[in-house]
Amino acid sequence: MRRMLALVRASWLTAASYRLNMLVSLVSLLMMVIPVYFVAGALQPVMADSIAGQGGEYFGFLLVGIITLMFLTTAVTSLPTALGSSIASGTFEALLGTRARLGEIVAGTVGYAFIWTAVRALLLLVVGLALGAPLMGERSPAALLILGLIILAYIPFGLLAAAGVLAFKTSGSLPAAVLTVSGLLGGVYYPTQVIPSWLQDLSMAVPLTYGLRALRAVVLEGGSLRASAPDLAVLSGFALALFGLSLYVFTLAVRHAKGSGTLAQY
Amino acid sequence: MSVVAAGAHTVSPAARIPLAGEAIHLAGLTKRFVVRRSLGAALRQPFLRQWSPALVDISCTIEDGEFFGLLGPNGAGKTTLFKVLATLVLPDGGSAAVGGYDVIRQANQVRKILAPVITDDRSLYWRLTARENLELYARLQDLPEEAGRRRVSELLDAVGLCDAGSKMVGAFSSGMKQRLLIARALVARPRILLLDEPTRSLDPLSARTFRAFLREEISGRQGCTVLLATHNTEEALELCGRVGVLHQGKLLAVGSAADLIRQMGSERYRLWTRCPVPGSLAALEREGVVDGIVSQPDAEGWTRTEMDVAGGLEGAAKVIDALGRAGASVGRFESVPRTLADLIEGIIDRRRRSSDA
Repeated sequence: MRRMLALVRASWLTAASYRLNMLVSLVSLLMMVIPVYFVAGALQPVMADSIAGQGGEYFGFLLVGIITLMFLTTAVTSLPTALGSSIASGTFEALLGTRARLGEIVAGTVGYAFIWTAVRALLLLVVGLALGAPLMGERSPAALLILGLIILAYIPFGLLAAAGVLAFKTSGSLPAAVLTVSGLLGGVYYPTQVIPSWLQDLSMAVPLTYGLRALRAVVLEGGSLRASAPDLAVLSGFALALFGLSLYVFTLAVRHAKGSGTLAQY
Repeated sequence: MSVVAAGAHTVSPAARIPLAGEAIHLAGLTKRFVVRRSLGAALRQPFLRQWSPALVDISCTIEDGEFFGLLGPNGAGKTTLFKVLATLVLPDGGSAAVGGYDVIRQANQVRKILAPVITDDRSLYWRLTARENLELYARLQDLPEEAGRRRVSELLDAVGLCDAGSKMVGAFSSGMKQRLLIARALVARPRILLLDEPTRSLDPLSARTFRAFLREEISGRQGCTVLLATHNTEEALELCGRVGVLHQGKLLAVGSAADLIRQMGSERYRLWTRCPVPGSLAALEREGVVDGIVSQPDAEGWTRTEMDVAGGLEGAAKVIDALGRAGASVGRFESVPRTLADLIEGIIDRRRRSSDA
C-alpha cells in the first residue's frame, strides 16, 4: 500500500506542477454544467414520462449519468494510457527494477487518475446541487457502493487494454469501443427503454445499464439497495467474471512481453 | 563539470543484504528472439518463425565485489543479458542466479540485491525535484520514512547534487541527470549494480570523472559488485578487474585486461625513429616476435613504424634490444590502445587458429 501511495504522490506532484492545466480542467468542467442544466430544462417536458421511474427530473438524471461516465472513462482509459507513456518514457522499466510488485505499480500508476476524477465529480455534484439537482445526500453510502461496483466492472476493460499495450504496444480501439457502446446503450443520456427494442436487448449485455439503473433508483428515488438487488447481482457477476478474465489475460501479456523482451519497449 | 563534488561525503555501506552465493552465476544461458517480418512475409507464411540468437550458451561466474566489464559492439547481447539479470526478460534455456537466487523463480529476492541503472534520463520524473525522485524510490524500496530521508541526503551528497536537491530534474544537465540515475539505483544499498553504457551521453571530461566515481566510491567504498556494459575498450580495460567479450550473443573470452591482450596474441606498438628500421627488425620478424610492420615518414624527418609484437613485455624488450644493437635513434616507443574491433577480431582469429590446429 505504501509503495502504491508513493506512486500516487509522484503523479500528484507531477500534475500539480502544471498548475494552469489543473485550473483549466476545473473551470472547463464548471462551464460544461451550465449548458447541461439549460438543455436538461428544455428537454424536461419531453423526457418526464420516460424517466418517471428514475427520479423524473432530467437534470438530476443527466448529472448521475455524466458523473458515472467520468469514472468509467478513467477506469477504461487511464491504465493503458499511463502504462503506454510510462513504458515510452522508461519510468516503467525503472519501476520494475524496484521491490514494488507489478500489481502495486499498476495500481499506483492509475491511483491519482481516480482521485482526480473523484475531485472533479465532487465539484460537478456540488454545482449540480446548487443548481437544484434533486439528489438525495443521505443515500450517499449506498450510491458510493454502487459506483464502486460499476468501476469494478469496468476496470477489467482497462486491464485488457493495458494487456494489449504490453503485448502488442497498442490498446487498439477497445477503450473507445467500450466507452461508445456503454455511453449509447448504458443509459447515460436517456433511459434504455426509449431506444429500439433490438438495441434494448443489446443493452442487457452492457454492465452500465444495470449500474446506472440501480444508482438512479437509490440517489434520485431514495430506493433501498435491497430493491436494486437484481441489478446489483448482475453487475457483480459482470465484475467478477470480467476481473477474472482480464487478470488472466494481463498475466499472459506480461509473460509474453518478458519472453519476447518487449516488457519495457514501446 | 565534476561528477563528484569536492569533499563529497561517502555513503555508509551498512545494512547490506547478505548474498546466498556468488554475485552472479550463469550456466548455459540462452535467449533468442523472434525476427519481426514484413506484413507481406507474415501473410505468405503465417506459421513460419525465424529466430535471432541474443545469448548463446553463456556461462560465467562473477564474484562478490568484482568490477566486471561486458565488452561488445551494438547488438552483441549486453543489454539482453542485463535484462535477464534484472528479471525483465525470461531466458529460454540455461540458468542465471544473482546472489544465489534464481532470476525466474526468485525474482523478488533478486530485485532486493541487484539494481539496474537505467541510463535513459527520461526514466526520471522530470517535473519532480531530485530529492522527490529519490524519496519516491526510497518508499518503493521499503526504506522507513526517516531512514529514507537520511539516505536520500547521503546520496545527494555523494553524487554532488546536494545543492541541486530541490531543483526540478527537467532543469538538470545530462551529467547531473546521469548522477541522479546512479543515486536512484543506490537508494536500497544494492549488492550488485548493472551499468549499461553509463558514459554514453557524457562529454570526455565528465566521463573520466564519472569513471573515477565508479571505481573509488561505488566499487571501492561501497563494495558493490559492478557489471559494466560498454563498447569502449579503453573504459572497460581501465575500470574492470575482469572483462568478458561478447559478440553475436557468444561470450568469446573472459579474463583480465592482460589475459585478453595475451589471448589476442600480440600488442600493437608504435615507434618513431630518425631513419627506417625494418632491416633491424627482420630477425625478430623471422622469429615471429614482430609482425605487420608498416613504416611511414612524417613531415618532421621522423619515421613512424607500427607493428604487432607478440610475447607481451618480453617481446617489447626484444624490439628495444634489437633497435639498440642497430644503433637506431629512437624518439618514442609506445603501445597503441586496441579498439573493440581489434580485440574481437584478434580473439576470433586466435580461436580459429587454435581450432584449426
